[in-house]
Formats: sequence, structure tokens, C-alpha cells
Amino acid sequence: MGKEYLGEFEELVLTMVGILQEEAYGNAIVTEMKERLGRDANLSAVHVTLYRLEDKGLVKSSMGGATNSRGGRRKRIFMITNAGLAMLRSIKESKLELWKLVPQLKIIGI
Amino acid sequence: MTSHQPTPPQWPRRILHWCCPPSLLESIEGDLQQQFEEDVTILGEKKARRNFVFNSLRFVHPEIILRNKFSRQLFSTMMLNNYLKVAARNMAKRKLYSFINAFGLSIGLCFCMLIYLFIEDERSFDQFHENKELIYRIEEKSFDTWLHDSDKPFRKSAWIQTALQPALKTELPEVKYATRYNSGSRGIVRYEDKVMTETLTYVDADFFKIFSFHLLLGNGEKVLQNKTDVVITPSIATKYFGSNEEAMGKTLLINEEREQSYTVVGVIEEAPANSSISFQILLPQENRPYYERNVSNWGNFNTPTFVQLNPNTNLVSFKENLYALIQKNMGDKLEKWRKEAAVPIPDDVKMLEYEFTQLPHWHLNTEISWDKVSDPKYSWILGGMAFLILAIACINYIALSLTTSASRRTEVGIRKVVGAQRNQLVYQFGFESLLLAFFSMFIAFALLFLFLPTFNDFTNKEITLNLNNLPYLSGMSFLLMLVVGLLAGSYPSFFLSHFKPVAVLKGGFTSKLKAGFTKPLVVMQFALSAFLIISSIIMFKQMNYITTKELGYDKDQLLVIPTQSGWSSEADKVVERFRQRAAQESLIVSVGGTSSSFNQGYSRYGYKINGEQKAAYVYAADPFYLPTLGIELVEGRNFDPSIASDSSAVIVNEALVRDMKWTDPLNEHLNWTEDTVGLGAQVIGVVKDYHFLSLEQSFEPMFLSMNKYHVGHLTTMLVKISSNDVPAGLERVQTLWKELNPNKPFDYTFLDEDVARQYESYQRWMSIMTFATIFAIIISCLGLFGLAGINAVNRTKEIGIRKVMGAELSSIFFLLNKQYIWLSLLAYSMAIPFSWYVMEKWLSDFTFKIEMSWTLFGLAVAGGLLIALATVSYHAIRAATINPAETLKYE
Repeated sequence: MGKEYLGEFEELVLTMVGILQEEAYGNAIVTEMKERLGRDANLSAVHVTLYRLEDKGLVKSSMGGATNSRGGRRKRIFMITNAGLAMLRSIKESKLELWKLVPQLKIIGI
Repeated sequence: MTSHQPTPPQWPRRILHWCCPPSLLESIEGDLQQQFEEDVTILGEKKARRNFVFNSLRFVHPEIILRNKFSRQLFSTMMLNNYLKVAARNMAKRKLYSFINAFGLSIGLCFCMLIYLFIEDERSFDQFHENKELIYRIEEKSFDTWLHDSDKPFRKSAWIQTALQPALKTELPEVKYATRYNSGSRGIVRYEDKVMTETLTYVDADFFKIFSFHLLLGNGEKVLQNKTDVVITPSIATKYFGSNEEAMGKTLLINEEREQSYTVVGVIEEAPANSSISFQILLPQENRPYYERNVSNWGNFNTPTFVQLNPNTNLVSFKENLYALIQKNMGDKLEKWRKEAAVPIPDDVKMLEYEFTQLPHWHLNTEISWDKVSDPKYSWILGGMAFLILAIACINYIALSLTTSASRRTEVGIRKVVGAQRNQLVYQFGFESLLLAFFSMFIAFALLFLFLPTFNDFTNKEITLNLNNLPYLSGMSFLLMLVVGLLAGSYPSFFLSHFKPVAVLKGGFTSKLKAGFTKPLVVMQFALSAFLIISSIIMFKQMNYITTKELGYDKDQLLVIPTQSGWSSEADKVVERFRQRAAQESLIVSVGGTSSSFNQGYSRYGYKINGEQKAAYVYAADPFYLPTLGIELVEGRNFDPSIASDSSAVIVNEALVRDMKWTDPLNEHLNWTEDTVGLGAQVIGVVKDYHFLSLEQSFEPMFLSMNKYHVGHLTTMLVKISSNDVPAGLERVQTLWKELNPNKPFDYTFLDEDVARQYESYQRWMSIMTFATIFAIIISCLGLFGLAGINAVNRTKEIGIRKVMGAELSSIFFLLNKQYIWLSLLAYSMAIPFSWYVMEKWLSDFTFKIEMSWTLFGLAVAGGLLIALATVSYHAIRAATINPAETLKYE
């Protein structure tokens, strides 16, 4: 298997799934992104990305229990797979490696 | 918690249901709902609803839609390849049927494209003016006291007073620019040795500011400010001066009523074909003949006027201001007219008011007569015909697919056994019909290029294919192709895909085809073509009747020549001189003079006799008028140049005698000048009614007079030439004219052509109808031909057995054709009442018309049957003559 690449938004969503654990579904991810990063994401964009990640085998999904809100509709809960975790880890490591190569310039005027 | 629970709008949900795969739908809907509930508490219900719609629509996303199982099947390229291959093989295998289908569909599509171009052209009329929204044509709406008709008490016309335009400009603040526009009169134009008659247009300087016609040379702010300015189009410039640049500053001599010299100060681009106004030579309005007389008289209506209003003008108050203008300038006159009117006019009715029409609506407003105005109903008629032809072609496709389904039966069985779902098969057959429609579209484009010039001829348009309309046309035809492909393909695909594999594959089916459903289709198709056949036969007969009807005068070998001397006694002298000179010529039979020839305009006078309002058409004549035209006198005598009192006498027609209820017309006087002292004009003769109007109208009261003062001068000369050698006669007339009038151009028309031109529009519509009918017949015959072929194949064995048993050839022929005769008779019985109704409507335009007799319909039925029989006979004869040993030996 060749090396898979993730887009920036894909990586973000995948991380969010990792963070939220059992509570990782569309709305929760949108809210989490807003709260932690101040970033506005569109619901459909998050959904599309989740499905794409699922196709790549980085997350898996199952239907949650019935709810009283949401018009009684169930949530689709996403869970990060081992492959997903490995992908996140390798991204983190390769980024760190690269970061070390950037000359650590002193920022003047702080 | 309130009792009111906010709910999101429902309609985006339907879109979601359509585009989201069922497995994902629940969580998506749930997330949206949750988002909505959160939004309600944070942003309020209104904003939350808006967000909900917005968020839902964002889910119409290719990555969502393509997750549907359905689309995955459709887009499976492997199957698509297979469908393509099978479709191509099938088309190649049955070339004839594929040809019939593709040909029919492409003609239908081609017609639709032509109609689309036609309608687009109609809609594009006058749309190119920058200020089109602000440009209005002022129109009069007046109570019609003259020809009172209680159904239409008001007369509407674009011809208004010459004095209005200056008043509008100075008195109404709403009016930014205003121009008068008199077009169509002809004058003699001279530059050095070039003398020709041209159409003149008299306008005001504002014309160039109002309309967006591009001034190629000259200053748009200044042209036509001087009384001696003239602006011409490039064609005139080339004709007289060689080029646009050469023309500038040159002097042209233009003569209408009197000769005047003008300086060319501008060259303006030609008005396009889709413009309601057109021009060649633009002259200042002040030089229009009798301008001074007209501008001082508010009772004369003789010029159309256009205005450009300031933006944001209140049209209601503008109308009121216009009415105030009328009251101020001619209130007294209107009151006088009201009192004098022959019919009582209610007090609350305004004698005269102004209305106005915005420039983009001029072309389709048939209420007001205008050059090139067109009735939207023509678009409907054409569209209807295109639809009929397309419908016939679709029926062909359906019928042929159904009847040839036998050969596809095994294929369907095998596909199903291998695992094809029914909907896959539906897609497959749908795909095939789309493919065929796609091919047809290309053929249709080729046909379009081929037929466009003919179509332009028929419809009197100048449509071209260019980069502006081609993309739209392609888009339109692509859409149409999709619709037709799916529509025509849907029934056959459902029909073909329903076969049960077990039944098909074990061979329980006989090879005979059941074509139950196709029969009504064929009947319908035949009824449509029958309708077209009957209609065109009736139209043809009527046109034939009109063109050959005895008109009451002799219209052959008669030259109509304008005397080119304006409305003056000089015109009379031109005729007189020509007559004297022509007396020595053997090729010229006689020469007469009149005010206007038939279909070249008329005058009609209204007058009151004993308090009753009457109207009659008036033609100026000379003593040679009746003999030249060969008009028959029933009573009295012709004008006699030696009797002085004849100059004020009249010759009337029988219709006028009937109208006046005279019993002894020769002892009557017609006081049409409303002379209060004398008795009026003496009646010296009565002519037999003849058709001086078109045959759409009946005989109207008319009289002839030599009265120069009241009726007019001989502005038209009629020259009868010998039938022995028409070209030589024409040449002789021309030579004489040049000899007698070296400064006047020689323009002529033949009277019979003038008369025929009255029916030009009918002639055009008849050609279109014939065109459509021929195609409809061809397409439906092709369909019938295909069906008959299948029928013959179905019954090959039956025929073989019958022949072995000793059946005659004729009985087999009869056997095979019987049902088609029944089908066509049925079709005709449906088409006859319908076409009778439609044609009755069409014929009601004519006062003189043919009777729709049973023989006419009989003829159409016989013709149609013959065509149908000829079509199906090929197969019948072939099936009947085949050697039974050939067909039966495989059993």
C-alpha cells in the first residue's frame, strides 16, 4: 500500500473524531471545531469528509441509540480506527521532523 | 418551554430524500435538525430556518449523490459500453427501422428548432435599443363616429397630429426627447445623372438621440438641425456616391411634391431586420409635404410620434397631462365633433385621448396597425405544427419498438437470467432511445442548415445562425432531445423489460407479435396527418379560387406606372402626353389614369346624407379608366371629355346604389361633398361591382370621379399593352417614358402581381402548411410502412398455408390490407370534424370563399387511403407472391 495523504481539513476532522471518542458525530465535530479553533465549518462539508475518511478506512461508523431531541433520529457515531490513529501519529511525527529542520529564528520585539 | 415548538421548513427535506442515500439520510437529517434546534436558541427562529435551508442545500453535493446505489449502477461504465455495443448492433441489424425512427425524429426536432428561432426572432424585435424601456409610441384612442360599430366603439391608431411633438417638448416635463416619424412615401432622388425613386422618412433631430441606430459618420447632436440636412444609409451612399466617406457633404436633389436640395450630413447604419422602424433616407420633418398646413391643424392626424420619457416618470400623471394637452389645443373642436356626430355619444365617453406603448411591445401589439406588426398566434400555429410532427415521430418510434420487440425478447430473458434487474433493463432501453435521439439531433442540425433559407422565405424573416443564437439553440435542442428520447423511450423500455425469463426462454411464445397498443397510436398518427392533408387541400382550393376568380376587371398585361409628379396638375399632363404619344404605338392598347391602383392604397370618404353617416371608396379616374380596365357599365355612360359638367359627375358601383337604396340611380345626385347649396354630384353611370378591394372584403360602396379639386389628380397611369409581345411592349413603354419624362424615373408594376400581393401572407402560410403536411405524410407513411412490414412477417406462415390451400393472390392482398383500410377510415372519421372546424375558422377571414363540400373531404379521404394503400402494398405484394415452399419448409 502506498503512502496515503490527508488534506488539511480531513486531518482536522480525523483529529476531532479522535478527540471526541464516543461523541463524534456531525454536529459535535462542528461545535468542537468552533470552540477549540474558532473555525466555522459547514455541516455538509464535515459529513462529506467523514464519509471520505470512512472510505479510506481511517474511521468507522455505527448508529447510536435513539434520542429524544433531533426529531427522534439516531446519530451516526464515528470512531477512529487503528489505521486512523497510525495515520495521525505519522503525520504528527513527520511534521515534527520537518519542524526541527526549520531554523529557530529569534523573534524580535515580543 | 413554550407550547410553540419551532419546526424547520419541510421542502429542503424532500430534496435531501432525493439526493441522500437511505443509509446516510437519518443521521444527516438528525444533525440538521439538531443544528436547527441549537440555532433557534442562539439566533432565533427566523434565522434558524434560513440556516436550515442553506445547510440542507449544501448536502446536494456530488460526493453525497454519487453514494447512491442507483447512480452507481447508471454510471457503471462497463455496462454502458455493453449497452452502446448492443444498441449499435441493433441499429445496424435493422437499418430500415433505425432510419425511419431517426429520420422522423430529426424532422420533428428540426421543425422545433426552426420554430424556436422564429419565436426568438419575434421576441428580439426592437430589443437592441439602449433606452427601450423609456421609449413610447403615442397613440390616439378616439370614439369612432364615422364607422360606428357598437362592439368596437373606439378607434386606435398610431397616427396623431403633427402639432403634438413640439407641444410635447415644450409643455410636458416628462418628455426628454420626441420625434415624429413619417415613413413610406416615395420621392425622386437625383445626384448628377443618377435618378431613382427611394423611400423617404421624415423625422426630427431627436430621432438620433432616442434610438440606438449607430451613426457611422456625422455628429449625432447636430444632424438634421438644419432644414437642408439629410442622413442616409450606407446602401444609399454606395448607390449614389460610391462610398460612405464620398457621400459626406455632397448635395442630393430630392423631390416629393417639389424638388429641394439637401446636404448629406451623416451616414447611419441600416436598421436590422428585427426592427419595427426602418429607413433609407432621413429628412427633416419640416420638409414633409404640406407640413405647414398640418402643423397648424389639430384636427389632422397624419404622423406617428415617439417620445423618450425621463426615468421614473409616473405614467398615470403623464396620461393625464396628455389629456390636458388635448383639451387645451382642441377641446372646442372635439365638442363640435361630439355635437355633429351621426350617433349620439354618451357624455362620459372621451372623444379623444392618448395612450402609449413601450417600444419592446410594438411588434406584437396587433391592436395598432404598424409596419411588420405580427400576431403572436402565428407562433402558436407554428409551434402546434412542430409539436404535431414531433408527436407523429415519437409515435413511430414507440410503435416500431413495440412491434420489433420479439427479437429483443431472448436478449431480455438472458440478461434477466444472468442477473439484470428490471430497472437496469429499463435504463438500457432508455439509453438506446436517447442514443437514437442524439443521432437525430445531429441530422436535425444538418436539416436546419438546409431548410433555413426556405423557412426565411416562407415566414418573410431574415434569420441567420450566428454565435449569438447558436449556443442557445444547441442547448434548447439538447434539452428537447432528452425529453423526446425519454418520452419516446419510456413506454417501450417498460414494455420490453417486463418479459418473464422463463416464459421467453422456454420458447412458449409464438413468433407472432401482439401489437395491440400500437393500433391506437397508428390511428392517432394517421388522424394527425389526415388533418394536415385536409387542411392543406382546403387552403389550396381557396387560394386557387382567389387567384383565378373573375374580379370584374381585366388585370392582365396592365402596367401600373406612378406619374412621379406629386399631387399636382402636372400629373394629369403626364398621363395626357403619354396617351397622345402612345396612340401611334401598335403595342400599346390603351392608357388610363387614376389616383391609385388596386392594392396601392385607397381613399375613403365619409359624409352625411339626410343625417345618416355614409362612407364610400373614391378613385380619381379619366374617361379612359373604364375601357382600359375593361370594367362593365350596367347603366348610364362613361365620362365624356367633351361634356364639361362631367368633371364633377360621378360613376358609382352597384354596392353604392344598394347602400343608398336608389331605384333609379341615373336620376340621383350623390352629395358627398356635403354641399349645402347644390344637389351634389350627378350620377351618370353605374358600374357592375368589381373587386377593387381584396377578396377578404365584400363589395363596398365606391364611386369614380374626375373632380380634380375634391378627389385628386392622376398620380398613377395604367397602360394596357398588347398580349402579343409583352416584353417588347414593356420596352416600348419605357422608351416612350424616357423620351417624354427624361427627369423622372420609370417605376412600374404589373397589376396582376399587385393584386396577387394582397394574398401574400396567405400564400406564405399555405407554403408552410404544405411543407409541414408533406413531412407529416412522409413520417407517418414510414411508420405505416414499418408496421405493415412487421405484420407481413408475422403472417408469413399463415399466408404460405393459405396459398397451399389455393388462396388467390388478390384475396391474400386483401387480407393483409383490410385492417389498414379500417384504421385509416377510423382516423379520417376523427380528423374530418376537427379539420372542418379549424378550416371554417380560417375561411371566415374571406368574404368570397369556397364551400367546404363533402366531395372535398371525399377527395381527401380517397387520397389518404391511396397513400396508405400504396405504402402497405409493397409488403402485401411481397408476402403474397412469395413461394409457400420457401416459408413452410422450416416447419
